[in-house]
Amino acid sequence: MPESTDTALTQIASRTDGARIVLDRVSKVYPGQDAPAVEEFSMVAEPGELIMFVGPSGCGKTTTMKMINRIIEPSSGSITIDGRDILSLDPSELRRHIGYVIQQIGLFPHMTIAENIAVVPKLLGWTKQRTADRVDELLQTVQLDPGTFAHRYPRQLSGGQQQRVGVARALAADPPVMLMDEPFGATDPITREKLQAEFLRLQESIGKTIIFVTHDFDEAIRLGDRIAVLSERSQIEQFDTPAAILAEPANDYVRSFIGQGAALKRLALIPVETAVLGAASAAVDHHRIATDDSLRDALDLLIVTGAPAIGVVDRSGTLVGSLTVERISTALGADATALAATRSDEGRLA
Amino acid sequence: MTPFDLAGLLTFWSRRWDDILELMVEHLVVVLISLAIAMVIGVVVGMLTWNKPIPAAIVIAAAGVALTIPSLALLALLIRPFGLGWTSTVIALTFYSLLPIVRNTIVGLREVPPSVLESAMGMGMGPIKRMMSIQLPIAWPIILTGVRVAAQLTIGIAAIAAYVAGPGLGTLIFNGLSSLGSKNALNFALTGTLGVIILALLVDAAFVQITRLTTSRGLRA
Amino acid sequence: MTVSTATTAISTASAARRTDRRIRIARRAATPVIVVLSLGGLLLWLSTLELDSIEQRTLNWDYIFLRTGEHLNLTIVASILVAVLAIPTGILLSRTRSRFTRGFVLGLANVGQATPAVGVVILLAIIWQTGYTTALVALVIYSFLPVLRNTMIGLEQIDPFVKESALGMGMTSGQVLRRIELPLAVPVILAGLRTSLVFCVGVATIATFINAGGLGDMIVNGLKLQRFPVLVTGAVLVASIALLIDWVASVIEDVLRPKGV
Repeated sequence: MPESTDTALTQIASRTDGARIVLDRVSKVYPGQDAPAVEEFSMVAEPGELIMFVGPSGCGKTTTMKMINRIIEPSSGSITIDGRDILSLDPSELRRHIGYVIQQIGLFPHMTIAENIAVVPKLLGWTKQRTADRVDELLQTVQLDPGTFAHRYPRQLSGGQQQRVGVARALAADPPVMLMDEPFGATDPITREKLQAEFLRLQESIGKTIIFVTHDFDEAIRLGDRIAVLSERSQIEQFDTPAAILAEPANDYVRSFIGQGAALKRLALIPVETAVLGAASAAVDHHRIATDDSLRDALDLLIVTGAPAIGVVDRSGTLVGSLTVERISTALGADATALAATRSDEGRLA
Repeated sequence: MTPFDLAGLLTFWSRRWDDILELMVEHLVVVLISLAIAMVIGVVVGMLTWNKPIPAAIVIAAAGVALTIPSLALLALLIRPFGLGWTSTVIALTFYSLLPIVRNTIVGLREVPPSVLESAMGMGMGPIKRMMSIQLPIAWPIILTGVRVAAQLTIGIAAIAAYVAGPGLGTLIFNGLSSLGSKNALNFALTGTLGVIILALLVDAAFVQITRLTTSRGLRA
Repeated sequence: MTVSTATTAISTASAARRTDRRIRIARRAATPVIVVLSLGGLLLWLSTLELDSIEQRTLNWDYIFLRTGEHLNLTIVASILVAVLAIPTGILLSRTRSRFTRGFVLGLANVGQATPAVGVVILLAIIWQTGYTTALVALVIYSFLPVLRNTMIGLEQIDPFVKESALGMGMTSGQVLRRIELPLAVPVILAGLRTSLVFCVGVATIATFINAGGLGDMIVNGLKLQRFPVLVTGAVLVASIALLIDWVASVIEDVLRPKGV
């Protein structure tokens, strides 16, 4: 292997807290097919960003993602991670520094959970002790007790537990970049919600650059820092924060993707504390909501109780104000205005 | 026609048990040598062809044709170039072992789920590493089943090889034939036949154990 | 994109089917070609040889036809007997609820598989007599168990829901057997018969040891008299017959297999 490849890999690998990924006019044409599967795809993912690719099945979102670790080789265009052209690196060496989680999980059935997680550290030549410590640490990170699970085999685990191991395995060598292909797609709704919540908490502490493919728009809203809504040939219809996409869908295609209830979905993204609160009084103190809950939770409580107003409490439990349906509505309007303002600012900057 | 005489058979055994045991060991050894050679060839060929439909089909068809050829015919043909005895026997037995081993290797390697291979690839394993540490271990129980079938097959065929001066228990069976009419004819043939059956059952049981011991606990149903 | 992905999937699937069909056709064509080539090669080689008087006695058409006829007779009669005896027995056994009978028969079939054919043939000759009848009986005994087992397995592997829905539509259990179970079990039963047929060709070769004729005679004579051309002719003929019988059986199997299975 040429020395430059080594240095490039070392450099990529050292950015464990997220690297910058740039795709520039990347296309994929399968032999014997007229239409490209992916056409001139360009995007920049900032370090530590969680980017969701959303689109219908067959739109090329998975193909686009798999070109980043070269499971699929691009036909043209360039892909760089932290400025390093990955197409010039050895694909296997490259992949050891990119975490990869797929829907079918693909745990190795003949290896224990610990052995599964230790695969990449072993490939990288870590010492036994360092590998073992890392396995323990990761199992704890994904909330599986090492004593119980390390020496079990994949078939002895539930689907949700297997997917946690899949995530732990992808994180094993502390890669700067993670690629996730519908990782929670095959789990039941309750498990999925739990895994999503855990994953969000995990990402807060590890801050990897993550490309996450899903066809579930609600999952995209819930998890993503930014969402790319994709249509045929992986064309980007809109690429923005969840709130911005919900407030201002770029076109009918995006609107159809959001579906009904855009306002409710937006409320779920706005914390109670951003609303202008009414006066705190004993009259509203029968029903309480916390400042870091979402406005959607607040609305829910208002409807369920039928009360005209509910109390808002801070983290210490002190009553700090009240909320009504009108105030929630105003907050939603203000949120849209604020979004528009940032957009025009960005426009001016650009 | 020779009547059955249990006391005579027991006397026969007590007089010749060391010869019988030696022939049994020979029989086992010639089968094991052939199986080992066939396993190396079969697994390598299987690894080279499992993902190429046309070569895989050709290999399986060719091995199938090989299995169709009657053993006495093949053994007879091998005598001219390789002479009487061990060499011809080993070549013939290896030849017949190839089909089950190659076929099961190809089937086993194909049965590894694509998602497992994709995640191995995504974790940075090259093709050789994937084959050796993922595919082969997962396909192992199926490959071993092929070897087990080949073992049953060749233990029976080895008995015929005694006719071309091959080693093993077939010698006793043919002794029986050549002493047709004498009082020991039945003892010879019966001892040889029973010996082969017992050996086949023992080897089969051994394979069950070997499969259990060498297969990852994660693969057992 | 959805459309084009779908067409890719279809085109790769149909490409795979095309490859499959091409492989099947090639395999179907290969056997006769191999047989014709090896028989032609054999003739060509024999025509270059100066045969001595011993060789001339066996390497002539009359002798070869006689031995080939004996060989085919033994093989085919044995296979028909096995089919007539083993398939009905298998059907009967698959009707029984007794686990013991089933286990006993399948266990016996396993031991049967471990029994060397040459042992059965020679033992039978020692305790009974030499000759054609003995060879025939040995062949039948030897092939009986595999066919029986395949019949039982063929009937048992049918999806119980298929049987249930047939019963639910008002078929009697006899009708279910004739119209549903047997047609569905045909491929497995035929596979068993085909194996036993090929096996019979092989075992018929060792019938020569007990004076039952067949092409084994040529091989054994060639060995005993050190006449290599005789030995090779016998061996190549037997191998050709085995390949051809297997080939014919595979064609019949394809014709008789119910469509959609």
